[in-house]
Parts: sequence; structure tokens; C-alpha cells
Amino acid sequence: MVLSSEVLEITIRSLMISSTATILSSSWSIPLSLRLSSSHSKLTNLIVSIFNALIGLPTVIVGLFLYMLLSRTGPLGFLQILYTPIAIILGEAILITPLIVSLAYEVFYKARVEYWEVALTLGADTYQAYRTMLRETLSDVIIIFLIAFSRALGELGVALIVGGNIRGFTRVFTTTIALEIAKGNFEFALTLGLILLIIISTITAIIRILGVRRE
Amino acid sequence: MVKKVDRKRILALLILILIMIVSAIIYWKYLTPSVKVLRVSTTTSLYATGLLDFLADEFKKMRPNVVIQFIAVGSGAALKLAEKGDVDMVFVHAPNLEKEYIEEGILINGTIFAYNNFIIVGSVNDPANISNCDPVEAMRRIYETGEAGKALFVSRGDNSGTHQRELLLWRLAELNATGKSWYIETGSGMSETLLVANEKDAYTLTDTGTYLKLKRENKLPNLETLVDEGFVLLNIYSAYIVNPDVHPHVKYDLAMDFLLFVISNEGQELIGSYGVEEFGVPLFYPAKGKENDLYSAWLWFANQP
Repeated sequence: MVLSSEVLEITIRSLMISSTATILSSSWSIPLSLRLSSSHSKLTNLIVSIFNALIGLPTVIVGLFLYMLLSRTGPLGFLQILYTPIAIILGEAILITPLIVSLAYEVFYKARVEYWEVALTLGADTYQAYRTMLRETLSDVIIIFLIAFSRALGELGVALIVGGNIRGFTRVFTTTIALEIAKGNFEFALTLGLILLIIISTITAIIRILGVRRE
Repeated sequence: MVKKVDRKRILALLILILIMIVSAIIYWKYLTPSVKVLRVSTTTSLYATGLLDFLADEFKKMRPNVVIQFIAVGSGAALKLAEKGDVDMVFVHAPNLEKEYIEEGILINGTIFAYNNFIIVGSVNDPANISNCDPVEAMRRIYETGEAGKALFVSRGDNSGTHQRELLLWRLAELNATGKSWYIETGSGMSETLLVANEKDAYTLTDTGTYLKLKRENKLPNLETLVDEGFVLLNIYSAYIVNPDVHPHVKYDLAMDFLLFVISNEGQELIGSYGVEEFGVPLFYPAKGKENDLYSAWLWFANQP
């Protein structure tokens, strides 16, 4: 049972959901943090502080909030995406947004001082300056992706509440582990936890080797 | 200041995201029309026994184009999901909670499909001497021995069906254990609670499925079944369909087909034989032939405060 096709299926599903959530979240978090890093107003400081604080938001709260939105009787109920993988992707994307924004803001803020002015002095326009900055900070941004991805892969609250842990459909690593604990299959739950750990470490190692430049 | 070209890029990105989401929804809604999905909310303890997946798999053999999706949550949440219209059916075992939703017209076609017994387990030494005595009397003895500092009781403390029943037993014994130093609330699932009871040589109320499983795996060497008979330990499992007059999108016909399968001769035989191979005893007893007795018992439990 330990390495059955069901475990393989859950593994693939978990990876797909969490990576999609990371990409989705980055697609709005990275532009937002770029924008924030180019401003010094009090409002920016306030927004960044709020994002910093939101990192600690319990996953079950994000899950519950999204459930209220997506429920049949909720404002977005007409979409009918509750208890589908899409709901988990959306929830995890929201969950990791404060994390990506906060970390990326710090990276871009520091990079601005180093690269921004230089790029402009060398005759680049704003767009080119942004590109230079992104290129120079790529290693850091990749690490931020990895942290966000691990957070999405390891969270339970959102997947359980808006995914529903439906067999063969929305069952992911963490919800399986929770179910196996409820069943009393502690050894199997531990095995799953170990597999999760191995997967996260392998992916992290590969991406670090490929994408992170040593200074 | 963000220049125009960046705005365009950001806008393009947002549109891309929108397309991703919309296409995913379209894919989900229209490209899989041959599969009918029936959504059922249920309680974690019932789902964890595996009975429901087993019944759904058997049903699927006859109706290959039907997918039954179980959402396993706490008893209270399972019923709440029905009220919100997020499921078509409910499988639960908490008569006093079920009653409210029946009265509000949210749940219809209530059908008792199985039953079993809660059991009181405890230390092999049995300091309160409750072995084979009446369940309510057992609670009294545990209370007295606890007050004397010689016994502990572990409670789920999570408002689950099992916890509700434990509270009913205390009420019937006219005792209130909450807050006592010998009364431990774990606030977690049955497996965790049983392990705590095992570690502390304490008494607890449990369902048979979880207990037998852990016992067989030798995780509960210090615990024994002490009380397993008595009307108040009866655990009644009922199925309901969400009222389509309240939530028009409910797949009533499909839900009815599954309900009829569960109470058919074949379904009832499957329920009675489930777990026998693994545990040597059945985990559930089919309701067939005992409907009237079970219904009057259900009414009694439903009307307890």
C-alpha cells in the first residue's frame, strides 16, 4: 500500500496544484512587489507592513474565508469551483501572496539601490531598468519561489476546507496524512510525510543547482 | 512612477491569469459532461472506516458514469455544508443535530442504513470496576473513582458525534465532569484520544471501528473493552438528501439512486460484511429488518436535550 499507484497519483496532484498556485501567485505578487519597491511613500510602508503581518495568517482562516466566498450560497458560488483542484490552487495562491510580496519587496528594494540608478545612468529607460533588476535578482527570486512552493505544498487548512479531500480528485499530501492519522494509520502517515520531505528537498536541491548563482 | 509599457505588461499578465482561470472552469464544466458527480458530506469517523468508499465503489460497478465524492468533516460541519447547498447528500450519526435540519426542511428522505455500538474502554485494572455494568452506572463509578483520585477519563472534547454521546451519558448520570482534574479533553480525533487514554491508563468512550483497528495493531496494550452493551450506546447511522426545493441544483434523482442502493438487499449485505475479514467482527450492522426499532431509538436520541 505504501508506494501504490494512489500515492503516486497524490504526489503528482500535489505537485501540480502547488506549482500552479506558486506561478499564479507570482504573476501578481512579483509585479506588485516591483511596484512597491519603487516607491517610498508612507502608504507603501503601510502596505508592506500589512503584507508582512499577513504571512502569519493561519491557513484554516484563508480556507474558511475562501469557502464562504465559493460556497453555493456565497458571492462566487455561481463559479461552481468549490471542492475542485481550482479552488485549492486559488486558495494556496492567496495564502502565499503575502510571503512572496514581503520577500520579493526586500530583494527588489535592495537591488534598486545597486542596479536601478546604474542602469538609468547608462541610458536605460524604466522598462529596461526593471529588466536589469529582475535579471540581477533572479537567484533570489528563485529562492522565493521555492519557499512559496514549499509553503503551498505543506499547508493543510486550505486544501482541506476548499478541496474537501475527495479521493481521486482533490486529495493531496497533507490531507491524506490528516486522514491516515484519523484512521489510526500512523506509520503510513509518517511514510507519506517522509515522501513529502524527500520530494521537497529534491526539488529544492535541483532548482538551487540549476538556478542559483553563487556569488 | 510606472511607465505605460509596464502597465501594459501587468495588464497582459492579469488577462493571462483570467484566461487560465476561465479555461480551467470551462474545462471542468463542459469537457467532462459524461460523468455525473454526486457530492456527499459525512463525518470523519464514518469516512475513516472506509465503508463509504467501499459502497461507492460497488455502486460505480453498476453506474460507471457516476462519481461519488465524499467530503469528510465534523458532524456539525457535514450538516452545515448541506444547509449551504454545497452537497447533495449527508451521511451522519448525530440524531440530535440531524433533527434541527429536518425541522428546517433542509434534509429530506431520512433513512437509517446501519448501526453499531459505542464502547467504554479503559485500563485493564479497571479501578472504577465498571466491567459489564450499565453504561450510565459506569459513568457514575468513573466519576466517583475520579473524584477519589484513582481514575482518569479522556474526552474527545471536539463536539463530534462520539463527544455528543459522551455528554449525553454524563447528563443521564446527572453528573458534570467538565473542568475536573481527572477529566482530560484532547480536542482531537478518536485515534489520538485512544492513544492518550492508553498512555494514561484512562477510561474513554469510543466507536468500535477505530478501537479495533488500533488494538489489532498493538497500539493500545493497556486498554480493554469494559462496557459494550446498553441502549444508550447505540450508534445510529442515517442518510439524507438535501431538499431540492431549498437548493434547486441538488441532484435528487442520483442521490435517490445511491440511497436506494445503500438500503437494498445487496447494499445491506455489503454493510454487514464490511470489516469482517480484517477484524473478525463486523464494524456495522445493517438496518434492514430492524427499521422500526431503530427509528424509535433514533427519535429518543434526537429528542434528548
